[in-house]
Amino acid sequence: MSNIYSVKQVNAYIKNMFTQDFLLRNLCVSGEVSNCKYHTSGHIYFSLKDESGAIACVMFAGQRKGLAFSMKDGDKVVVEGSVDVYQRDGRYQLYARKITLEGAGLLYERFLALKAELEEMGMFDAGYKQPIPRFIRTLGVVTAPTGAAVQDIRNIAYRRNPYVQVILYPALVQGDGAKESIVKGIQALEALGVDVMIVGRGGGSIEDLWAFNEEEVARAVFNCSVPVISAVGHETDTTIIDYVADLRAPTPSAAAELAVYDYRALQESLLGYEQILRDKMGNRLELMWERIKRYQMRLRYLSPQSQIREKRQYLVDTQERLRLGMRRQTEQARNSLDLYIERLKGLSPLDKLKQGFSYGMDKDGRTLVSIAQVKRGDMVTLQVSDGAVHAQVAEVDLVDWGQISG
Amino acid sequence: MMQEPKESKEESIAEITLEGAFRELDKVVERLESREITLEESFKVYQSGMELLRTCNEKIDRVEKKMLQMDEDGELSGF
Repeated sequence: MSNIYSVKQVNAYIKNMFTQDFLLRNLCVSGEVSNCKYHTSGHIYFSLKDESGAIACVMFAGQRKGLAFSMKDGDKVVVEGSVDVYQRDGRYQLYARKITLEGAGLLYERFLALKAELEEMGMFDAGYKQPIPRFIRTLGVVTAPTGAAVQDIRNIAYRRNPYVQVILYPALVQGDGAKESIVKGIQALEALGVDVMIVGRGGGSIEDLWAFNEEEVARAVFNCSVPVISAVGHETDTTIIDYVADLRAPTPSAAAELAVYDYRALQESLLGYEQILRDKMGNRLELMWERIKRYQMRLRYLSPQSQIREKRQYLVDTQERLRLGMRRQTEQARNSLDLYIERLKGLSPLDKLKQGFSYGMDKDGRTLVSIAQVKRGDMVTLQVSDGAVHAQVAEVDLVDWGQISG
Repeated sequence: MMQEPKESKEESIAEITLEGAFRELDKVVERLESREITLEESFKVYQSGMELLRTCNEKIDRVEKKMLQMDEDGELSGF
């Protein structure tokens, strides 16, 4: 009898086989979706089936970015992921990482093929790109008359510059007849002679945007003599006309920003230039005026009138100095005179007489200074403060004043 | 086939002259800043700058526009 294994052992063994298999780790499976359930946890449970059978599939919440559309039963999809064993149920299932609509894959291949072909023909070459004129009068728009794109373009164009004439060619942008309608629009606006053209539409699925991947549309854009800005879908959508257009805008709004110049900015720019011109000219003139004034001053200084005035002034100044000097001298003389008067006053004999001294004279009127001038009985005169005393000498004594005072 | 760059004179005088005018204005400013320029010349340059600005202002269409829609026959009508 062969060995007996537990369920756990068998499941683990099978799981190990799956895990080691190179193909099962990463594969793409195509089929039709059935039993599709979006669980509240964010996981998606579904089955893939074809005419032969079905395989259980799960896409965990963490992988949801791999699903770009709302998947429902009946969708033909390609699921990329790995096949692994769920040991609890002893079941294998496909763990999905990426789910794409099967049609989308085909379209993408067509997109790549056309892109390669047109690139080969040089239709994307930078040499064919026309510059987008900055200051336009008329803007042509080829897009659907309904929807966000036309409103966005209208609002932004009007906000930036209400004086630019926007002309819409209401085109069919998806479904049958879309490419013919877009081509006709491009040609009609070119014939009308707009300055710049925006060709595009708002966001949508790859099928919705498909008209902008058609060769006829790409050629119409390429052959258009009016510069074309492409504006298809969102920033992440790239279509063939984005490569062919003279400029690619990420969205219709952005296209309007690129096509229509800002009126206020232009106005400010013009005013700025005016200011700069005035300032520069003003500065230059001021500089010239300064120079002229300097020369004027120097010339005035050097003129004969100035010379005469200068001399006259010198004369006046000198006169004044002379006058002042003279006055100073007179005052000084008067001062010293006053001083002498004071001093003389101190020396006046009258004052001495008032103090009790008297002035003696002999009979001949000579000043009496020595006993030798008189003898007893001689008449002398003593001058005092209020008159004279006539006296007779009674006695003469010799006194050595020096000895007494010493 | 290569197309002529769209610089056709009749169609877009305004745009050409506005862009050209800005280039010209830059030159005028540069010339005015130059030290070598004579006073007389600077007057001329200044005047030409002012003239350019005046022309620019005249070039700008200031009539408000409503969006127009083109029909199958190429006729235009309000959108």
